[in-house]
Amino acid sequence: MTGPLTGVATVFRRELATVVRTPGYGVLAVGLLAAVGGLLAAGGGGATGFVPAVVDLLLPTEALVPVAAVVLGYRALLADGASGELAVIRTYPVRVGEYVAGVLLARTVALVAVVGVPYAVVGVGVWLTAAPDTGIFATHAGVDSPLLYLRFLAFVLLLGAAYVSLAAAVSALAASRRSAIALGALALVAGVLGGDLLLLRSLGGGASSATIPGSLPLTPNGAFRGLVFEHVIGVAFAPEGDFVATGRAVGSLVGWTLLGAVVAGATLAYGRRVDAAIERVRSGFGG
Amino acid sequence: MPDEPVAALSEVTRTYGGVPVLESVSLAVEPGVTAVIGPNGSGKSTLLRALVGATEPTAGEVRHPGATGPKPIGYLPQRVPFREGFTARETLAFYARLVGDDPDAALERIGLGDAGDRRVEALSGGMRRLLGIAQAVLGDPSLVALDEPASGLDPGMRERAFRAATELADGDTAVAVSSHALDLVDEHADRVVLLRRGEVAAAGPLDRLLEERGAADARELYRVVVGETSASAPGEGDGAGGDEGERDAGDAEPGVHVTGVSDR
Repeated sequence: MTGPLTGVATVFRRELATVVRTPGYGVLAVGLLAAVGGLLAAGGGGATGFVPAVVDLLLPTEALVPVAAVVLGYRALLADGASGELAVIRTYPVRVGEYVAGVLLARTVALVAVVGVPYAVVGVGVWLTAAPDTGIFATHAGVDSPLLYLRFLAFVLLLGAAYVSLAAAVSALAASRRSAIALGALALVAGVLGGDLLLLRSLGGGASSATIPGSLPLTPNGAFRGLVFEHVIGVAFAPEGDFVATGRAVGSLVGWTLLGAVVAGATLAYGRRVDAAIERVRSGFGG
Repeated sequence: MPDEPVAALSEVTRTYGGVPVLESVSLAVEPGVTAVIGPNGSGKSTLLRALVGATEPTAGEVRHPGATGPKPIGYLPQRVPFREGFTARETLAFYARLVGDDPDAALERIGLGDAGDRRVEALSGGMRRLLGIAQAVLGDPSLVALDEPASGLDPGMRERAFRAATELADGDTAVAVSSHALDLVDEHADRVVLLRRGEVAAAGPLDRLLEERGAADARELYRVVVGETSASAPGEGDGAGGDEGERDAGDAEPGVHVTGVSDR
């Protein structure tokens, strides 16, 4: 008959079909490919190897990937709520957790296509065109390698997944498309700039620079940057690493992803009750 | 069990912005067709939303003692909400998969077998409503709530939509239908709940109410109880766009239920 997996799989299929039928996401992928390819061509790093390419892409990626992820996720849960279809879906034997999981999984698969493919294409371009022999697979530090770029790609997708999930939480909290855009933009600015500003402020306040590896991975962008320095750029140039604690950084990205999913699920599960509770308070004040 | 209603509301109140839209509504929903009628803004949509659990009451309790099965409740909101870009068959297939039902059989049942490959946005308003009804009855629910199933339709489609809805009630299914189409209420309803300003002004078997109030039909009953002669011209259909002013809150409906008061 039906079970939790049926619910997740059914919602997943519908959501993925929606993404596939939305031309805007294809445009987003093409735009991202043009932006990443253009930045690489302008920076020149791609012409010499994977690690120089990653150095060129690191900073723009910290802005481009969150933007793409938020675009993919900011309406993910709002659409059914705003149209009224969520009220219909909830009469079926599919739990809120299953619904959120199905939507998020589909949006994450979409992220792999919209973000992962352009970065992979650029990586292939580097492989084919870079002047030094980048076909050597690294067995020790100091050698450029496609594996280092694959690691970078994996970190890119982890960063994107965290932002997709956070954007989905925003879409569950938002009451309208306009407020979803506003909240998404706020989350984007806070995520991209907030962590660094807080870090700078703490350093300015007298905190030791030795605390950076511990505090850097607390935000998605900090965790991503730390991982790229630790496992991609640092492998080639600074064998001793120590940019960031790997477990802490990966845990941070996974944690932000789970946090977004939990907030989204809780909002959908308890939103009606909270709304009714607020109304009770209002009615109480009204006499 | 046999004496248990399919659903029961007990002293249910719902406010928006502190303004009551439903006030101390108590009623039992039994198998058969229960028509919820009343002027625009009287709380019909809110009542149905509370009945199916789409709106949480601010006071009172909603129970479903007789609603059983994997999908105990079916619901069609006032505004049919299906996602654009999908065909009628794909839309029903999504819901059917959740309850192990057959989407093609559901399309045939509602007379949309030939329209299965048309996209939802390409369907006429009436066909969308029929699709919504087909969705609501998937999984054989014990309680089906249909908010204005005949709203804004031509007479032929209005009759078809209403008939499709009420044929469900031949068995043990309880069908609650909000409508302004009092001629169809006369023809199909077993019981009537008449709302006025969020309160139940009259409720019970239609025949009994007609006898008690000395009314010849549902339209006259409406006039006697509500004390209005216009009231969106009930009986002439659900009016263009239906009870648009009565959309209420919850997950979806962005509208305003009481003038100047929104839930968002």
